[in-house]
Amino acid sequence: MNTTMHLTEDQIDDVLMGDLAATTAAHLAACEDCKLRVAEFATPIASFKAVSLAWSERQSATLPSKLTLPVTSAWQRGASWAAATAVLLVGIGVPMARHETRATQIVASNGTSQAAPRTAIATVARVQEAGRGAPGLVAPTKPDAQIARDNQMLQAIDRELDASVQSPADTFGLAPAGGPSAGHGHFAPVQIWD
Amino acid sequence: MQLALDVTMTNVQAGERNSTELDDIDALVRTYRPRLLRFVTFSIGDPDLAESITQDCFLKAYNGRGSFRGDCSVNTWLTSIALNLIRDQQRLQKFRFWRQARATAIDVSDAANFLASHESSAEARILAIERTEQVQAALENLSVNQRAIFLMRFAEDMDLAEIAATIKMPINTVKTHLHRALKAVRAQVGGSR
Repeated sequence: MNTTMHLTEDQIDDVLMGDLAATTAAHLAACEDCKLRVAEFATPIASFKAVSLAWSERQSATLPSKLTLPVTSAWQRGASWAAATAVLLVGIGVPMARHETRATQIVASNGTSQAAPRTAIATVARVQEAGRGAPGLVAPTKPDAQIARDNQMLQAIDRELDASVQSPADTFGLAPAGGPSAGHGHFAPVQIWD
Repeated sequence: MQLALDVTMTNVQAGERNSTELDDIDALVRTYRPRLLRFVTFSIGDPDLAESITQDCFLKAYNGRGSFRGDCSVNTWLTSIALNLIRDQQRLQKFRFWRQARATAIDVSDAANFLASHESSAEARILAIERTEQVQAALENLSVNQRAIFLMRFAEDMDLAEIAATIKMPINTVKTHLHRALKAVRAQVGGSR
């Protein structure tokens, strides 16, 4: 390249980019015209750089000077894992415990456990005491005597019902199949003729 | 910043001192936020989103400061993080560049009041604003990579090798992008002969 041939646009771009070849640098040092062309294009870029930085500094000044950092220390990460594990265990443990309780109740209702009958006996005793006019709850009694009293009570109720409620069989004048001594509600088994 | 520009410093010393610099998040923000905010803002064209990305960038840098090896300046490292965040945003299509961001466009018209003394006369300020708006308008028509490379070279003063490493492109590709960007800017500002 001789000094009479000026720089092309690409060469001027190279100068601006900082990718300066030796021949270009030599020409630029000697050619005022090309220096002017480079400066002509460098000026708007320099203005952009200055004004945009001024704008950005002003914007930054209006922002909070401190950032809120998320805490990520090792012990807190460990605590997070522990909390997650605890939640998982509770999530699994509670349904399992409920299932076990329900199974126990089912077993108890089938009569294999003594807890449920005892509770029922105590309840009946309270009912009996209430029937006698005694206030409050009574002390637990022996099971055999209790059962005997229960049976007596139930028989008394049965008798009362027999006396007060007229049987539909009596209404229509029907006699029991097993004879008059069989009583209401006790019918002879049906005979199937061959 | 001064540490990063000291060319006599060895890499090990630079790494140690930069790590110390990264430990103080407040000082880091004070020092680098204006430049980083400018890079992000003029890259995406949305000042509101740029603030959010800049903040994310500092948080990411602070949390990942252990991975900083000191083989580049803190500013370059922050710029590369910001570039990744911008690309993430672009990938998620949470915004579209420039044309859709007109509602919150950058208004640099009053920024000239804060310029340095050599631009302090009223006429110089008006001229500076006018040139800036021309370059800004030219940037709008560039691709994302062209714009980012232009800003890294002419706003951040990064050299070509540094830009290539930051944007993870061959240096010749960086040059091609820069040539295209400069042609567009030249056409806009009327500097072409």
